[in-house]
Amino acid sequence: MKLNRKENEFDVIIVGGGATGAGTARDCALRGLKVLLIERHDFAAGATGRNHGLLHSGARYAVTDGESATECIKENMILRRIASHCVEENDGLFISLPEDDINYQATFVEACRKAGINAEIIDPAEARIMEPSVNPSIIGAVKVPDGSVDPFRLTIANIVDAKQHGATVLTYHELVEFIKEGNKVVGVKAINHRDKSVVSFYAPLTINAGGIWGHLIAEKVGVKVNMFPAKGSLLIFGHRVNNVVLNRCRKPANADILVPGDTICLIGTTSSRVGFDEIDDIKVTADEVDLLLREGEKLAPALAYTRILRAYAGVRPLVAADNDASGRSISRGIVLLDHATRDGVEGFATITGGKLMTYRLMAEWATDLACRKLGVNACCVTAEQPLPGSRPAEPESNTKSKTFDLQLDKNRSSVHRHGDMASKISSANEMDNSLVCECEDVTVGEVDFALKELDVNNLVDLRRRTRVGMGTCQGELCACRAAGLLAEAHKCTAKAKNDLAKFLNERWKGAYPVAWGEALREAEYTQWVYGAICGMENNKE
Amino acid sequence: MNMQENNISENNFEQCIKCTVCTVYCPVVPVNPSYPGPKQAGPDGERLRLKRGDFYDEALKYCLNCKRCEVACPSGVKIGDIIQLARIKHSKKRPALRDMMLANTDIVGTMASTFAPIVNTTLALKPVKWAMDSVLKIDSHRTFPKYSSKTFESWFRKNAQASQDQFPRHISFFHGCYINYNYPQLGMDMVKVFNALGCGVHLLDKEKCCGVALVSNGLISQARKQAQFNIDNIRHSVIDNKRPVVGASSTCIFTMRDEYPHLLGIDNADVRSSIDLATRFIFRLIDNGEVKIKFRDDYHSRIAYHTPCHMEKLGWSFYSIDLLRRIPGVDLVVLDSQCCGIAGTYGFKKENYPTSQGIGASLFKQIEDAKPDFVATDCETCKWQIEMSTPVEVKHPISILAEAIDYEATKKINS
Amino acid sequence: MKFDTIIIGGGLAGLTCGIALQRQGVKCAIVSAGHSALHFSSGSFDLLNTLPDGTPVESPLKAMESLHATHPYAKIGSGRIKALADEAKSLLCSCGVAVKGDAETPHLRFTPMGTTKPTWLSFEEIATLDKPGVSLGEKLLIVNFAGFLDFNTAFIAKELEAAGSKCSVTSVSIPEINRLRINPTEMRATNIAKTLDNPQVLTSLITILNSRAAGHDAIVLPHVFGFASDAALHRLRSEVKATIHLIPTMPPSVPGIRAQRTLRHAFEQLGGVYMLGDTVVRAEIENHSVKRIFTENHSDIALTASHYVLASGHFFSKGLVATPQGVYEPVFGCDVIFDKDRNNWYNESMLNCQEYISFGVETNSALLTLEGGTPITNLYAIGSVLGGCNAVSEGCGAGVALLTALAVAHTIKG
Repeated sequence: MKLNRKENEFDVIIVGGGATGAGTARDCALRGLKVLLIERHDFAAGATGRNHGLLHSGARYAVTDGESATECIKENMILRRIASHCVEENDGLFISLPEDDINYQATFVEACRKAGINAEIIDPAEARIMEPSVNPSIIGAVKVPDGSVDPFRLTIANIVDAKQHGATVLTYHELVEFIKEGNKVVGVKAINHRDKSVVSFYAPLTINAGGIWGHLIAEKVGVKVNMFPAKGSLLIFGHRVNNVVLNRCRKPANADILVPGDTICLIGTTSSRVGFDEIDDIKVTADEVDLLLREGEKLAPALAYTRILRAYAGVRPLVAADNDASGRSISRGIVLLDHATRDGVEGFATITGGKLMTYRLMAEWATDLACRKLGVNACCVTAEQPLPGSRPAEPESNTKSKTFDLQLDKNRSSVHRHGDMASKISSANEMDNSLVCECEDVTVGEVDFALKELDVNNLVDLRRRTRVGMGTCQGELCACRAAGLLAEAHKCTAKAKNDLAKFLNERWKGAYPVAWGEALREAEYTQWVYGAICGMENNKE
Repeated sequence: MNMQENNISENNFEQCIKCTVCTVYCPVVPVNPSYPGPKQAGPDGERLRLKRGDFYDEALKYCLNCKRCEVACPSGVKIGDIIQLARIKHSKKRPALRDMMLANTDIVGTMASTFAPIVNTTLALKPVKWAMDSVLKIDSHRTFPKYSSKTFESWFRKNAQASQDQFPRHISFFHGCYINYNYPQLGMDMVKVFNALGCGVHLLDKEKCCGVALVSNGLISQARKQAQFNIDNIRHSVIDNKRPVVGASSTCIFTMRDEYPHLLGIDNADVRSSIDLATRFIFRLIDNGEVKIKFRDDYHSRIAYHTPCHMEKLGWSFYSIDLLRRIPGVDLVVLDSQCCGIAGTYGFKKENYPTSQGIGASLFKQIEDAKPDFVATDCETCKWQIEMSTPVEVKHPISILAEAIDYEATKKINS
Repeated sequence: MKFDTIIIGGGLAGLTCGIALQRQGVKCAIVSAGHSALHFSSGSFDLLNTLPDGTPVESPLKAMESLHATHPYAKIGSGRIKALADEAKSLLCSCGVAVKGDAETPHLRFTPMGTTKPTWLSFEEIATLDKPGVSLGEKLLIVNFAGFLDFNTAFIAKELEAAGSKCSVTSVSIPEINRLRINPTEMRATNIAKTLDNPQVLTSLITILNSRAAGHDAIVLPHVFGFASDAALHRLRSEVKATIHLIPTMPPSVPGIRAQRTLRHAFEQLGGVYMLGDTVVRAEIENHSVKRIFTENHSDIALTASHYVLASGHFFSKGLVATPQGVYEPVFGCDVIFDKDRNNWYNESMLNCQEYISFGVETNSALLTLEGGTPITNLYAIGSVLGGCNAVSEGCGAGVALLTALAVAHTIKG
């Protein structure tokens, strides 16, 4: 892309397309700023898309970190309003097992009350009715307003709204270097990974929203943010075992949250420090799988005989206090750094720490700073204005004639995924209604919509937008079909074929740590289809 | 290590690895595109239904419950059971009057047998057929099986019961609705063959319809009651009287052995292995050398054997075929196993008629090409369908044995 | 139930062994837990494309001499391969599975991606090339059915053009086939094939093809012809006024399923008993000899035979079962070759050689299975349940199935 001097000038440049970056882009755009967001991969490709997808009530932090708890419950209630199509209002239970100290329950409930979280002690018998999969030996249960949130949908909804309000969003653009005038950051140079061109963009303020990679981004301008990568591993099970979020009522520990989300449920997390050299290729170890299963079975014994689809890990961006080089005084709260005041570097700020739950508040803080610096007087409205997908517009499917019972089904899956945006999905004929992904109910119409409207560059992006390949077969049936549609839409057959191999590898990376039993049968079938039948076995990356 | 032993789920649907083999063998899919197909209706749909129950699709009613998907599945997924259980759990459609009539084979049978001549004539009348077609939505192409004026039970009590204690072995005979109300002759043939083999035939204290039609028409609580009733009576026979229970209808036997525990939650584990099909029971006696069978020299027939869906699922057509092959004068053709399309009461419904006949078409062609003297099969509803759709008569293997057996000689060997 | 030989597994290996034995008057029963991997056939049977070290194979018969002694081909003995390969081809053809090709000079088959791969035998009707560097024709018309997603015309056109053909792509819309799309999932190769088995629907297609054939040397179509019989194939060949090239689709495979059906039919015509949908649940082994087996369907009624053949397939077919701790053979518990360290089972790149695919049942040189290192004297293993070869990376799955089946059939017959 060739941009002349005018077109490549912005008020704010945001680096990073996770939830925080997307939220900040939206907030800035809504307040009338001219925004550019660059992301080196795809939206939600880092820690945003690699967590529980838990809509925290804040109860988990109530005892140890009251401030975080208060932030969580406030944002929880906001997300239910503004992002209803990304949220499942499942509720949560904090259960006490015989091995747990039941006295902790009183401390916990009191702390929740202080933070403004509605925590209600219920009878274990009632808890077992509320969530039949729960460990039947529970001795105590507290009900809290936990839920599930889909981080991919949430991020993309923010992007769509930012773009609707004039933001420019470029994925597969990686920051190469900062453009400086003296000690002032005035822009960035980014490489477009699709055509390898390097482009310059200018703005009086650049906001670093790079998550754990923000540490490395800041280093490029000579600033030390003092982050520590903390790896968290999770397991995805083949279907929903529970419909209520299950937590342990004790001090936060490993593998003590089981979250239902869309068609699956997931258990996590572990926690361990890793080096910056590992953060681009995080692997789940056999010991972690073992730990997750061992602890998971205590929450819901059914996990012992439920098929595991994948293991995956994300890296939390933990930030140590500025005066602590060892990283022992870690904060889980939001960290906004104005590097002008902190480090004497003008035109550069970092927003980090926090968590998926507080992405909107982080964006609000960052945008407040931007407005102050740019002298713009505009209020934040992101807590009130619903995101695209969560607006009251009537989805088309509800008004349409019900020619086939089946049509209803699919439309509901796509409505779950895209909310009111689903009205843009064509279902004019049976061709549009044909399923690409049979496990996750993704139609040709939905794939076309995502390819046209949701910044999809490859099959992995498509998966994040639609759930293609996220089901039981992990792409065995759908990957080839989706690649065909991608090839047609992008008129680029060679790239689509290459994408197919990458997509299969990306699925396999999560599958092989748990590849025994049925999962190995599935993998062997997939390897037979794409290797032996399709002759892709030489198509090595 | 405390890791999962197998990553194998007790949730049977998770054993599906999406190979699509089931879709190749579903007889409904090619003729009725409104049916989602076994993969989507079964394991794929189950996953969505676990997410939210309203993903249930009423089009699951088009499933014949033929279980051919289960036979084909290389992963052992109980696809048919998953679909039927989903219907039981989620369907909100109330059964129509027609469905209740079709489902209650024994109540309708009791009434019909009492007035058999009138009922048979009436059911055959054109205006009546028209009324059934337009009001009750029972397809006018269908001919109801004739009702017998005398039930099998009444014949048995009068003519056979007294002499049954003399034999060295004993069975309880689950005759089912069809033999009792429509075709007592098959029951008489059962008694003849078993007596010749040295087996006394007894009735259960009481029996009700096995309930297969109730299940397929959504009358689940009634089906459960009848299932429990039957299992209680079977238990009395098997455990207290040491008499295994034998039936001639593959559907009744399959239902009581497998559908009771899988679909209705009725525990039959203590008696399941003692519920047996007539041909299998006889095969076992012969194979173990306990009895011998002698056939007449003057019996000659070209027979085409049709494997009913439930026989395919049970894997037991082997026994019926083996017995027929033992008859010296029989020229046996085994037809390629496929669904005939009737699926009990399914094919009687007006909305299913084209599907039903579409499914059976290639079977009817196979039969006509084979040019048999008659067709043999273990299922009464297959018999109706084949007789309605081809000019060929259908007989039960037990009736064929009864015709071909040298009764006196066999009885002598085994007494 | 008494038989001479009981074969566990009714796929390519089991059926071939059963047919060979029945022809010699050996009474066989096949117990098959569901349908076999023939349903996902590539349209061809590969013999050996790559050596275990990754070296491409030009002459399979010659290359086999270098295989390690644990490889199933080495156990058969490279000297016997040629004769067995010829026998396999003639067995297939005589049963009605028409195949072309020979073991000495591989030909090329087309994949659903449009690429080519060397192979040994191909179903007669599918498109093949005698050698690399030739094309299917100068001007090709690639035809797909509207909305059929398992045949990727863009990929195929790209490859065929790279091979020197000029391609145009067109889609046909026939009401009876469009009807399948009312159901969002059932526009599958097999359902299209079933629809095209109807002569009138096929006539509509042939009319359309003839109207568009002008100016093209040949028509390239997805292989969705002849589900129930090969009648549709014959009509397509004789009535379309252009050369027809059929390219295999993504699974399910129409020609593979027809082959399965044809072989089963042949086996049953010979008097074999084929028990579909049944699983062997228990076996009694005494003094290293199988006495009898019990199945799920026949429960208390045992199946007995003098010889047993394990043709139960690989992990996919549940012939092998993997746990986090190891791999076992579930029916007889016979010895299995596998790596004790699970970390070595996988390669991080999915399309690279995966070690777990080479795991399998261990046998002696006569393909007798072992129990704690000692042969089970009447239990043979054939086909993909065997260890010592990697069917995917070596491209030897079908060859191992056919040749070990025949080798064991010869041993049993004596």
